[in-house]
Parts: sequence; C-alpha cells; structure tokens
Amino acid sequence: MAHNYRNDVAIDWCPGCGDFGIVSALTQALGELNLDPNDVIAVSGIGCSGKTPHYLNIAGVHTLHGRAIPYATGVKLANPNLNVLVTGGDGDLMSIGAGHFVAEGRRNTGLTVILYDNAVYGLTKGQAAPTLALGEQTKSLPRPNMFSKVNPIALALTSGYTFVARGFTSDIKQLKEIIKKGMQHEGSALIDVLQPCPTYNNINTMDWYRNRVYKLEDEDSWDPIVTEDNVSSLQEKFTKAYNKGLEWDEKIPTGVFFDNRTVPPFTKRLEKNLPEYFSNPPSSQVIASPDGKTLVDPVETFRDRVIQ
Amino acid sequence: MSKVDISLTIGGPQGGGIDTSSNMVSRAFAYAGYNVFSVREYHSNIKGRHSYTHMRVKQERPRSLRYPLDVLVALDSDTIFEHIEDVGENTKIIYDSSFEGSELSKARMITNDTAGRIRKTLEANGYSPDVTGSIKYMKDRGGIPIAIPFSKIVTSVVKEGTPSRYYNTLGSAITLAISGIDREFAEKAIRIIFASKEKVVPSNIDVVGAAYEFVEENKLNGIHLEKRESKERLLITGNDGSAIGKIMGGLRFQTYYPITPASDESTIIEEHENIKWLSEEHSKLAKGGIVVVQTEDELAAITMAIGAALTGVRSSTATSGPGFSLMAEAISFAGMDEVPLVVTLYQRGGPSTGLPTRNGQSDLLFALNTGHGEFPRIVLSSGDVEECVYDAIKALNYAQRYQLPVIHLIDKNLANTLDMVPNIDVDKVGVQNGVRVEENADFKRYSLDNEDGVSPMGVFGKNIFWMTGDEHDEQGHVTEDTEIRDRMMEKRFKKIKTAEKEIPLEERVELLGSKDADVTFVTWGSQKGPILDVIDDLAEEGIKANLLYLKMFEPFPTNFVRDVLTKARRVVNVESNMLGQASRVIEQHTGFEIKDSILKYNGRHMTEDEILRAVKNLIGAKEHMVVLQNGA
Repeated sequence: MAHNYRNDVAIDWCPGCGDFGIVSALTQALGELNLDPNDVIAVSGIGCSGKTPHYLNIAGVHTLHGRAIPYATGVKLANPNLNVLVTGGDGDLMSIGAGHFVAEGRRNTGLTVILYDNAVYGLTKGQAAPTLALGEQTKSLPRPNMFSKVNPIALALTSGYTFVARGFTSDIKQLKEIIKKGMQHEGSALIDVLQPCPTYNNINTMDWYRNRVYKLEDEDSWDPIVTEDNVSSLQEKFTKAYNKGLEWDEKIPTGVFFDNRTVPPFTKRLEKNLPEYFSNPPSSQVIASPDGKTLVDPVETFRDRVIQ
Repeated sequence: MSKVDISLTIGGPQGGGIDTSSNMVSRAFAYAGYNVFSVREYHSNIKGRHSYTHMRVKQERPRSLRYPLDVLVALDSDTIFEHIEDVGENTKIIYDSSFEGSELSKARMITNDTAGRIRKTLEANGYSPDVTGSIKYMKDRGGIPIAIPFSKIVTSVVKEGTPSRYYNTLGSAITLAISGIDREFAEKAIRIIFASKEKVVPSNIDVVGAAYEFVEENKLNGIHLEKRESKERLLITGNDGSAIGKIMGGLRFQTYYPITPASDESTIIEEHENIKWLSEEHSKLAKGGIVVVQTEDELAAITMAIGAALTGVRSSTATSGPGFSLMAEAISFAGMDEVPLVVTLYQRGGPSTGLPTRNGQSDLLFALNTGHGEFPRIVLSSGDVEECVYDAIKALNYAQRYQLPVIHLIDKNLANTLDMVPNIDVDKVGVQNGVRVEENADFKRYSLDNEDGVSPMGVFGKNIFWMTGDEHDEQGHVTEDTEIRDRMMEKRFKKIKTAEKEIPLEERVELLGSKDADVTFVTWGSQKGPILDVIDDLAEEGIKANLLYLKMFEPFPTNFVRDVLTKARRVVNVESNMLGQASRVIEQHTGFEIKDSILKYNGRHMTEDEILRAVKNLIGAKEHMVVLQNGA
C-alpha cells in the first residue's frame, strides 16, 4: 500500500490559510516521487510554517526561529542519502535566518527549501515580514511598513542556489511539479511560494495574486536548464532568471526561474576528501568494537606529534 | 646526575617564528630524553606584538611553570622590556647585541600603558628606559646578560636570503648549547620541523653549527646534559588532546566558526580525519572519515551539529565565550529535545571580546546556566592535556547515554599547553552507545515508560518520529497539556539523577595528596598541575597540603565535597577569575563558604612560585584574598 504522507495530527492553521495548499502539494509530490518514507526528513523553523513537519507522516524536526537551514544541513551532511526538506516562513528564512539562507547558497548542500511567503508574521499577530513592500500597511500595522522588501528570487540567485523557482499556493498542481523538480535537483533548491494570510494580510490576498500570476513555462522559449552541454548559456540564463525575478507589481511570474546542474553539491565536494562518504557516511559508520572499545589508534593517527 | 629543572622563556615578535623556536627547543630536549612543558602567550595580533613561550624542562614530567627564569631568550628588544621582572639570581639573558641602546619610547608594538609601566619601574630605580638600562636592571638583580652578535653569526654561514629569518633558529640553538644539550639533538629537531621545507634544512643546520661553535669559543656552556633513556611520547596541546579524544570516542561530525582558542581543535581533527585503526579488521568496518564543517556563524555551528546528531552520529562543536553566548538558545533546544551533543567550551578572558588570546575561567557559571528555561545538562572540566583526551571520550559517551547537552570546559591556558604524554591508554575509556530503538512501529521518541528517564533513541533515516522545541508528547508533537508538561519536565530531570548514580565519583571529583592536611586547596582546570607542585614545595617546609580537584560541576558531587571541606583545617580556593565561580557553586550546593582565595584575572597562566607565595600569605593570616599578577 502506498505510504500516506499526511498523518492524523489536527492542523491548526486559520481557515483559508495558504499553508494548506503547500501541504497538499508536498504530500502529493512525495507520493509521486515514490521514495522510502524513512529517507525524507522535514525540518522547519518557527511560526505557522514551522508546524508543517508535525502534519507529515515522515520524520521531522520543528527547530528554532531562523535555524532550519543549518539543522537541515547537519542532517544531510551526516547522512547524504536522505532527502531533506526545509519549510520556513519569510520571517524565518529572509530575516532572522537570512545569514543561513545566503550561506546555504554557497554550500549548495542539496536541501529543498520551501519558502512560505505571505509577507507577514502571522503567529505573532501580523507584523511586517521582509517580503512586505515599503509603505504597505497590512491591517495590524500601526503605520505603513518602514522597510523595503527583500526579493527571495534575486537573493537566492545571487547567493548561489542552483534551482530557483516560485509557486502559488492555489495552483497545487504546478507547485507539486516544482517541488518534485526541486527534490530531484542535486544541489540546493529555493521554492518561493506565494500565499495569502487571510487573517493578517489584507493587501496580498488570494485574488490579488490570482490577478497577477502567470507561468514561465507557458512561454515557449523559456528554458531555465543549464547542463555541462550548454554551459555557455549560463550567464544568459542567470540574467534572464534575475530579470524575471524583478517582475512584480503588474505581472508575477511563477515556475522554474533557474536550474543549474553544473555546480557540484557540498556532499560531492566532501566526497573528494572522503572517498567512501556516500557508501559509508558518518551516520552509518561503526565507531566501537562489540565490547565497547575504541577502534582508533591514537598514536598512529597523530604520528606527526610523536617524539622518538 | 643532579636534578634538572630549567625554566625558560623565548620571546619575540608575533609571526617571528616563536612557535618554531618553541617546537625546536622542546624537541631537542625531548630527543635528549628530558621532559618539557610549556605555555604559549600571545596577543590578538598577526604580526609584530610581543609573543612568548614559557617552558620548563625536567627529568620527570613537569606539570607547572615557575619564575624566576633560568634562561630568557630575547629575539627582539620588546622581549627584554616585557620580561625585566622575570629574571633572578643567575638568569641567563640571551639577546642580540644590536638591541643595545634601543629605546623603550620607540618600541612601537608595546602599548602605551605597558610601556609607561615599564618606564616607571626603570626610572624609579635609576635606570635608563632602553635596552641598556633594562639589561642593567636585570643584571643588578642577579641576571647574566649574554649579548650575541646575531647578524654576524648568521651571515658567517648563510650567504643568501634575509639573515633575520634565522634568528629564531639561532636563539634556540644558543639556548640548547648553553643548556648543555648535544648538537645532534638540535639538528634532529631542525630536520623534523622543516621536513616539509627541505630546502631550508641545510642552512638552518649551518646556523645551529655556528651557534654551538660560538657558545664553545666563548665558553658559555655550563653543565652537559647527558642523554637519557626515553620512550616514545606524544608532544601535544590541550587542543590536540581534545581532538584525539573526540576521534577515539567515535566523533564523526564536528562544526566550528573561527574563534581563538577553540578553532585549532577543529582544524586538527580535519587534518587527522584519515584515521589509523588499531587492527586491520577495524579499518574495513569503519572507513568513511569525519565531516568537519566551518559554518557561517556559531548559531549554525551548534544547530548543524544538532542536526547531524539526529541521524545518530556522534556530533560536536567547539567554541569560546563569544561563540558560546550565541549558542545559548540551541543548547536549550538540545536540553528540551534530548539531543546527544558535546560542546567543547574553550574559556578565555571575558567579558565581551575581553582578552581574546588570554586565559580565563570565567565561563563556569555561564556554562551551568546557559540557555533559557530549565533542562538537564552535564558540565565537566579538564585540568591537564591527558584529561582532555579521556574527558573528550567521556563527554561523547555521557551525551549518548543521557541524551543531553554536555559542556566540556577547557581553559585557554590548557588549550595552549604543550605537554609530553608518554602513553594513551586505548582501554581506559570505552565507547558506549546509548539505547536505540529497534522497531519502528508505534515508536515513541519521548516514551515516559522509563525508570531512568532515558527514552530509546530513534534516528533520522531509520525511524519516523517528530521533534519540536515546544513542549511535546511522547511522539514528539506539540502539546500544552498540563499533565504531560509536568511528566516531561520530570522525565528530563530524572536523567540527571540517573547520571549522578551512574557516573563514578572519581570521574567527578578527586582528593589529591594526603588525607590529613593543614591546607586544602580547591581548584579546577589548569591550576591542577601548579598546585600539585606547590603541595610538594609546602611539604618540604613541613606544611601538609592536599587538593580537592573538581572535574564535574553538573551533576555536582555535593556530599563528597561537603564532607572534605567541613573536615578541612584551612580551605584555599584557587581560580582564574574574579568572582571565585567554583566557590560559589560549592556554596550553592553544600552551604560551605570558602574564606580564603587565590585569584588571577590578568589573563596569564598561574605559576608555581606565585601560588606558593600567596598561600604563605594566607597561612600567615595576612589576608584572605590574594590576586596574582605574574606574566607579560
């Protein structure tokens, strides 16, 4: 029988929350990828998005605010054979965890980062999040937002994410396909998911998005994939992706912006130093004899420190 | 042969080869069969500021340093200024004759406050504030100045390159020649140290030869130190010791963000990730190596180490005070989520950036209280290089057995102590894993059905379970249920009671020396060695002393400590901090207030002589607290 990726834990998001669409797309994607459920791990930070792992029938950890990426990186590097998902909000990934978001682009560990992008901090009652535009005043703000917004697509591209995409929570089918592609991608993926917060964001509503989104894949000439065979197109495709990433007010593109398969993930970089890294990763190494003794010869290992 | 006990300092500009000098001198003495113990003192600076090694050489293993020096080697004039108070009767002061006349006012790399202090001392005593005056100051206090024409000697044998590049070799070789070490050992040290830079070996050997001839011609050599039989030894620091212990203890994942004096440990592990096995059969089992990751900050270092631990790997991070402050929130998570995690906390002088390259023991109370909320933890401390090895293994074992954060305290002084360890006992501390779940069905990561509070552990990749920093039910899902909350709090704290029962007392506290004593010292960390030497010194004067040596602060060995202290005649607490933090912990647990204390917070290592002087002052009831001030 197929594994049911949704467990029986009651979901406590508000009615109409965009998070539901993400969980639907995610569980459908997991089902279609036909993975061993033990091999998929969900890691989240804090906030409404942080609750996601509890609703999935896979192992998961609901960590600290902003730290989902380094937790997930630790899981992945200790066992590179796992598929590691990060579910984080815009506050979590773009504000308190922004340093980790950038560092992960440089590492390209192979995480699938799903950004719950609704421009507000929901669980703490609607403060402005980093993706809310300057001057916007969502309903619980005492005055218009004083900060300019961050652009997750542009930030991911310039940080080094090798798969950059955007979904819209009401288009579950498209989002499911993007998540599948992101998970199959060897390096790290950023999937920005536009979603309404019906309780606190009265500006970027479901209808507001519906009136603006269009799909990149509907343009016949759109080809975001860079491989060793067409590596000369790298700069051109990066530039196109970046320019698409800047589109916002009138028309908002969704789909895959950039899919660069030419940058080795961090795990493969480690393999160069540790040849058996994938077949015998840290998580599965034997570290003691059956009677509980060390296996390591300290003097031979530290031969360079020996005085004879 | 008479007892050898040489106290020596080699000083020069940071980046001027002091490490190489220290290594060369240590090795040459070691090849001749002697034991060397040294501490590195340096500024937070890459090039130029005053840096030195304080060293002691004996037949048996030294365990402390002392002043006055027997030999002071000055590779720059700043060293002469900085160490004028460290010489005494018959201290040989080896320096470059070209330093004569150098003025203190032109010593650009000495800060104005230090220079002002030295100037005041010299002028108040009628000496000129320059090298000539400083040398005279030391000579009048028993020092024997030995001016060496550094440039002339080097250029007599080296015709190419910059002569000053050989000054550290020359100064070291002169020191060895004067100390009576055979030339062959100095040459052997050169060949080993420069093994990877073979091109420079011949010229350095020539400089060694010229140094020995100069000492011979000028009849500067004293007694000859004959070659002694010696076994193979490891020449390692506290940083090395912790790295060795972690590798022996099955560590396979380490994270760090660069910080002094902790990051050396991580790079040492990375350099030695190619493990050598005790038997051929093991090498087949255990290949794969250790992953060491330099992270973007300490927030990532600790959370990445936690993430790795969730896959079942033995995982750890190493940091120092400022980094540890950033890790506080995640330590609370590890406590709440019962994650086996080791944090090696290298203590330096705080608060804030404080004295980034200097010693301190001011993070004990912080280590005991880091992180919000209440959760169990184990806090242990090492006091010498060998303890760093075994404690690192134990820390990994405790983390697995009790599923909690373990904080291993090592002070900067110990991190940078270079010691000779004769033998690492691979059977002394085992590698024991905690309880793991076998079946996945209906697995409860936080099962409450455990007498000892320890639930079977599952790992990512094999079991499906949930974790959260929120209070959680047995499955790991968020709950705010009042009854579960109480039971989970109690379950977590049950583990520390279990640890208290299971961890042998001798791993937590020791009473060293005779039971019957007039003076009972209390200490932790790197003062252990100097105090043991002071106990011997006092015995020679007919004063019986012993040491209550603290190794574990959580769970605290309350009954044993209370018992020893309430029976002691005079208790003297010795710590490298201002508040007497260990004495506060003792009082909190036992109600016993320690009245006499010897404290040091200038960031420099404690020496045998200053502790001895201080304890005599306390015995003489002249005062109840002595603040130690040795060190440049």
